[in-house]
Amino acid sequence: MSTPGKRTPDMRDSGTRHPDKRKARAARLALALYPPSWRARYADEVHALLQEGGGLRDVASLVWRALPAWIWPPAHLHDRAARMRASLSTGLLAWSFLTGLGLVFAQLTQFQGFRPAAHPIISVSYLVFDAALALSVAAAGLGGLPLWLLMLRRARREHRRRDVAALLLPLIAPAAFLAGLSVTVRLVGGADGASPWWFLVLTLAGFTAATAAAAGPGLAIRRLQPRGPALRLAATAGGVAAAAGVVAAAAIIVAVTGLVLWAPGFAGYHHAAIPGLYLALVVAAAAVTAVSAARGTRAALPDPNAEN
Amino acid sequence: MGDMLDRWADPPLLVLASLADEPKHGYAITQDVAQTMGVRLSAGTLYAVIARLEARGFIEPLPAEDRRRPYRITGAGARELARQSERMSRVASLATERLHASLGWAGA
Repeated sequence: MSTPGKRTPDMRDSGTRHPDKRKARAARLALALYPPSWRARYADEVHALLQEGGGLRDVASLVWRALPAWIWPPAHLHDRAARMRASLSTGLLAWSFLTGLGLVFAQLTQFQGFRPAAHPIISVSYLVFDAALALSVAAAGLGGLPLWLLMLRRARREHRRRDVAALLLPLIAPAAFLAGLSVTVRLVGGADGASPWWFLVLTLAGFTAATAAAAGPGLAIRRLQPRGPALRLAATAGGVAAAAGVVAAAAIIVAVTGLVLWAPGFAGYHHAAIPGLYLALVVAAAAVTAVSAARGTRAALPDPNAEN
Repeated sequence: MGDMLDRWADPPLLVLASLADEPKHGYAITQDVAQTMGVRLSAGTLYAVIARLEARGFIEPLPAEDRRRPYRITGAGARELARQSERMSRVASLATERLHASLGWAGA
């Protein structure tokens, strides 16, 4: 006779090898592939159906049908506020990375005073880049400010210290980076004394600061789950910032390609792999920024099917 | 058990037809469709269809019983089912008539 509460070998076997348990685990994994709103609405029913009768064919069909659920999400499950929040969090990270790549471009070209007069395409692309980056930063800053202030007030009112800290990261992280940069430049004897390795280290530190500055508000958005006009304004401004960022990215591509073709001895562009890698990062960051912002902006637009 | 033409079956219509007489939950729908129409609907297909029909207002959920949630056909769903049934009926009549004219086939 077994002791109550103690697992016998048979019980252990049934706990780890029972087909129903394996099926339930496989179903959980398959359902994890679906959008959160879909899972929240249908996961319990699917589990109940599989418990009553279903096999691996059903689990395989769940896996197969997960992709369309992402691409064409059912309209009645569309949570516009959640879509805007998710797009803002993802888009902010991608946009920060893209802006950082833009600043690297500016540092290696315009800040060096390099203006190849014989190539007006490069000069024009510099101008387009400057204007697009300025517009992008202004749109992100001005459009996101009301939402940021709203969340900061709420986090302070509710004594949510972690959220306050996360929301202050866009101020703290760049300030810490600039302070570190200033000290480092003095230590190495001015900007001209910085070796390529120092430049790489400072660039990586800059990207780390930008990631922290973007991740903080993104985390706060997910935790505080704001709604309303400030969220819609931020999502719409995110669309403008992303569109301008894509234009800036296109200008970078034109300028770097021009530098490789017409000024091959300039700066680090004498290695074909460096601009190639750089442009691949620019394209990837621009694509993620554009897709994410487009989805958020679409969710922010008035719903033509809404009753009110 | 389904036949070789299962893939031609239209799952949304099968689900609407299954719900035409009374509300059913997911498992009951699969059982009914398998027994009366000879088509096995997998869980992934069934819930993709349920989500689509619900989004279009052709079916609506009823309060859940334990974890099982029954669905019932709406007025719009019934009208759509009637329209599609009429269309399929015309196709069936036409096919039978032409087979009879060309092959002398009188039906099974």
